[in-house]
Amino acid sequence: MLVQFYNVSKIYPNDLKALDDVSLKIDRGEFLFLMGASGAGKSTLIKMLIKEEKPTRGQIFIASRSIVRMKRSEIPGLRRSMGVVFQDFKLLENKTVSENIAFAMVVVGANSREIKTRVPEVIKMVGLKGKEKSLPGELSGGEQQRVGIARAIVNQPLLLIADEPTGNLDIDTSNEIMELLYNINRKGTTVIMATHARELVKTANKRIIMLEKGRIIADDSTGELIL
Amino acid sequence: MIMRNIIHFFREAFSSLRRNKLLTLATITTVSICIMILGAAVLITMNASQFMDKLESDVEIVAYIDKTVTGSEIADIKEEIQKIDGVRDIKFVSCEAALKDLQKGLGKDKYNLEETLEKNPLPDSYQVSTTNPHDVPDIAVKVEEIKGISKVNYGQGFVERLFEVTKWVRIASIIIIALLSFGAIFLIATTIRLAIFARRKEIYLMKLIGATDWFVRWPFFIEGVILGSIGSLIAIAFIAGGYQSLINNISSLFFLPLVTGQEALLPIYITLLVVGAVLGVLGTLISLNRFLDV
Repeated sequence: MLVQFYNVSKIYPNDLKALDDVSLKIDRGEFLFLMGASGAGKSTLIKMLIKEEKPTRGQIFIASRSIVRMKRSEIPGLRRSMGVVFQDFKLLENKTVSENIAFAMVVVGANSREIKTRVPEVIKMVGLKGKEKSLPGELSGGEQQRVGIARAIVNQPLLLIADEPTGNLDIDTSNEIMELLYNINRKGTTVIMATHARELVKTANKRIIMLEKGRIIADDSTGELIL
Repeated sequence: MIMRNIIHFFREAFSSLRRNKLLTLATITTVSICIMILGAAVLITMNASQFMDKLESDVEIVAYIDKTVTGSEIADIKEEIQKIDGVRDIKFVSCEAALKDLQKGLGKDKYNLEETLEKNPLPDSYQVSTTNPHDVPDIAVKVEEIKGISKVNYGQGFVERLFEVTKWVRIASIIIIALLSFGAIFLIATTIRLAIFARRKEIYLMKLIGATDWFVRWPFFIEGVILGSIGSLIAIAFIAGGYQSLINNISSLFFLPLVTGQEALLPIYITLLVVGAVLGVLGTLISLNRFLDV
């Protein structure tokens, strides 16, 4: 079991219940869609996972470790076991494709030999060969998201978290990005993807968790019941 | 690992300085102005303090010896005075010398004291200086108790007031310098906050990827040292130049002697440089912490 949520609630100071008594388990190697309208609690759930925010109640375990009671000094270690992909890519505009990806390795203290061998591997894997020296501004949205994904997987995380990764992309590009994510999942990385794009999820035949007003209203291992 | 990180930190610091030219310039200017004001305050305080020291060190005790006391007893009195804790130096002033001094003070032409008075009315005396001028009143009491001393004079009343004034001048200088330092930290912190704000996305990313707080801090820390040092070097150049031309043009301001020795000024300039660097670092760390809370 990689991720376990036990009765997790998050209540913001303005009494907004972003998550309400959520319990779930995610196995190693799973591919999971988090679905729901805006404000259903998808982003809050992701923020709990990466420990950007603390739950008001409940327990969260990742690889059998409680992350709720985790000390501040242990957070970097937790985050190194995850990769995060954002809807708005969050690339550093003044760094090239290679540098953006290498940045994630530098941050965790990889040596330059590791960086020199690993970065081209990942660039090839996400299909950006030939774009190494480009700046993000010179790339299409789909290409930028590939850089974002490359950066997220370059440190070989156990868990890849993608928050609306196709939210800014057209349908064809979205499908390409989905293929890339399935590929990464096939190589053993657990993937959690938040989205509200039904058309992407429909054909996927993957587990879907449906959130509404902070509660899980459906959890289906093939997605058939929901869609 | 450590060496590689150090290279990374320096490279990041310098590239950030180059990228954010305007903010770099703003921070250097802010530090410069703060250090200039601070430096001027320190120099003024130092000169004031030297003046206070001089005023205080002029305070000494004059112990008048009873007219009936004879030669060997006068030496005994000196020994007695020497036994008192805190006495630095004792100088014997004979009644003849005292009269000459008085004559000198009055001017030879107007009066001839020896002729007018016929017999010298002044007593022999000891001038007692103390290691710490503030002990003068206490020591004076002890000297007065010695047998053979008729009277003790140290400017009673005036000296206590002088010490009161010098005490408050010193306290006021410390407060002013402390306030200026606080002001400088906030001003510098605000400027640096702008620079960090421009890079908040990068900081957020680093934290999410799993950077430790210190990994994020180091480049900013180095930037703070560089900006603080450059800013204070500029300020020191201005202060040193300005003060030197002040010394060259007037060696004493009214009746105050100015602090001039390089051995006194150099430590101040070096301290200001260190203060500038520390302010740069403090400003950076204060501003940074808010953005590290991811």
